[in-house]
Amino acid sequence: MTRTGSPRIAGYAFLAAVGLVGALALRRPELAVLAAPFAGVLALGLSLARDPRVDADLRLDAERTIEGHAVEATVSLRSPHSVDRLEILLDLPEEVEVEGGRSPRAVRLTGDEEHEVELVLRCSRWGVFDVGRLTVRARDPLRLAAWTASFPCGAVLKAYPSEIALRRIVAPVETQVHAGSEVARVRGDGIEYADIRDFVPGDRVRSINWRASARRQVLVVNERHPERNTDVVLFVDSFLDVKLGGRSVLEEAVRAAASLSTRYLERRDRVGLVGLGGVLRWVQPGMGVGQLYRLVETMLETGVEPTYTWGDVTRIPARILPPKALVLALTPLLDRRFVGALQDLRARRFDVAVVEIDPVPLVPAGPSELDRLAHRLWLLDREVQRSDLQRVGIAVASWRDGSLDGPLEEVRTFRRYARTAHV
Amino acid sequence: MQTASIRLAIAALAVLVLGLVFGWPPLVALAIALAGAGYAAELAIDDAPLDRLAPVLAAAVIAAAELAYWSLEEREQVADDEGGRARHLAVVALLALGALLVGGVLLGLVDLVQTGSLATDVLGAAAAAAALLAIVAAGRRRA
Repeated sequence: MTRTGSPRIAGYAFLAAVGLVGALALRRPELAVLAAPFAGVLALGLSLARDPRVDADLRLDAERTIEGHAVEATVSLRSPHSVDRLEILLDLPEEVEVEGGRSPRAVRLTGDEEHEVELVLRCSRWGVFDVGRLTVRARDPLRLAAWTASFPCGAVLKAYPSEIALRRIVAPVETQVHAGSEVARVRGDGIEYADIRDFVPGDRVRSINWRASARRQVLVVNERHPERNTDVVLFVDSFLDVKLGGRSVLEEAVRAAASLSTRYLERRDRVGLVGLGGVLRWVQPGMGVGQLYRLVETMLETGVEPTYTWGDVTRIPARILPPKALVLALTPLLDRRFVGALQDLRARRFDVAVVEIDPVPLVPAGPSELDRLAHRLWLLDREVQRSDLQRVGIAVASWRDGSLDGPLEEVRTFRRYARTAHV
Repeated sequence: MQTASIRLAIAALAVLVLGLVFGWPPLVALAIALAGAGYAAELAIDDAPLDRLAPVLAAAVIAAAELAYWSLEEREQVADDEGGRARHLAVVALLALGALLVGGVLLGLVDLVQTGSLATDVLGAAAAAAALLAIVAAGRRRA
């Protein structure tokens, strides 16, 4: 441990020296009486002071949490000697705060006994956080000297995005071949009634509609829609971010992507992820709980990295975008490269829908007339981008905060009535 | 009370307040030194006899210095454990009490030396005997 002296040492030494010299010079023993306690404290304190050799480590109750939820952390402290005052400081990232217990705080250690300090940490946003270093400072009873040591914790806390309220999701136009929860447009074995047709050799007897057969005097069989799964690729725009007052469009895009992927995976759909930005991140479509963890862990790495490359869809590996997949984009529509990539995907006959994470409340107009004009032009430019996307058959719905149900209903309505355009 | 002493006391108070407000520890020692200088000026100008209240003043001065440094440490906003403040307050009180006792003993010795009576010789002999006894006791323990 590194030893440092308190300002008391210099101060008391100065006072003791001045008092004793003054007593000699003025021949007044009262000044020596004034100086003696300072000299005595110095002598006593420095003779009692010894290195406490404190050992400390930090344990986290869980490696994974959800943003806003609490995680318990335990700081274990040991020392062969008693320490009158041991100050503990946990160096945390900005996004992790101490909710229960206080840091820095002081405790008293008894020699050869382990002392545990409980802290409750809370992540204010999703991400991967290095819990950092634990710094301890021991003081002697007279607080003349301090011993400081720093211990690397090596603990990593992963905070997953919190779930956004979501009752219904957007179904893809076409389904895949595996069993799932989406009623397919095609006819086959299933539960959902589709139509009746004349019996042909090879039809199963159980599919004969006896009531209709009796009425028509020929054998008629029921046709049904099979339940199939779908492929969904979540397309997250990480070219740019806008932040204001603790709100960030990228953070909300990732929260929305995490909630959507959870809901789609619950329906046995295959879900993939493409993070298009300075760095291209992807997860191949898959099913199950393992896939959910893969998706969320990849989302946690999402951030804005500067790039000058033109991030078009040719950078995306072909296997990430399976045929008939729904590409659900989450974007603030701030970067033309992302909008271009969406149009390119639509031109390749992918089923594309856009949830626009609205950055307008985060970008207030400036004070001057010129600023307000620029703001209006920017809003018009955004309208043009939306219009360009809708013209090629891409549903665009704006989302500010709260539930995602409203924007998804807008997407469903657009897709119900809009004609599919192939450009 | 002398004007010079009052001025020095006011200056000491002002320096202490500055030191506490701006969090600069050397000003605490300077303030205490100024207060001591005022007391010294009072004693020197009046050419007063031995001040019996000097141990009380010594206790007050060490307590003031401890409390001032404690106040500076509190600026770091380290949350104390239960009883931490009471323990340190007890340490400060013990230091003040110790200053009072040591000061009293010192003043008593000075008084004895100044009177130069038989008691001084008795005290010297007792001290020498105690020192010898201490050496013998230490030697026995090692053996």
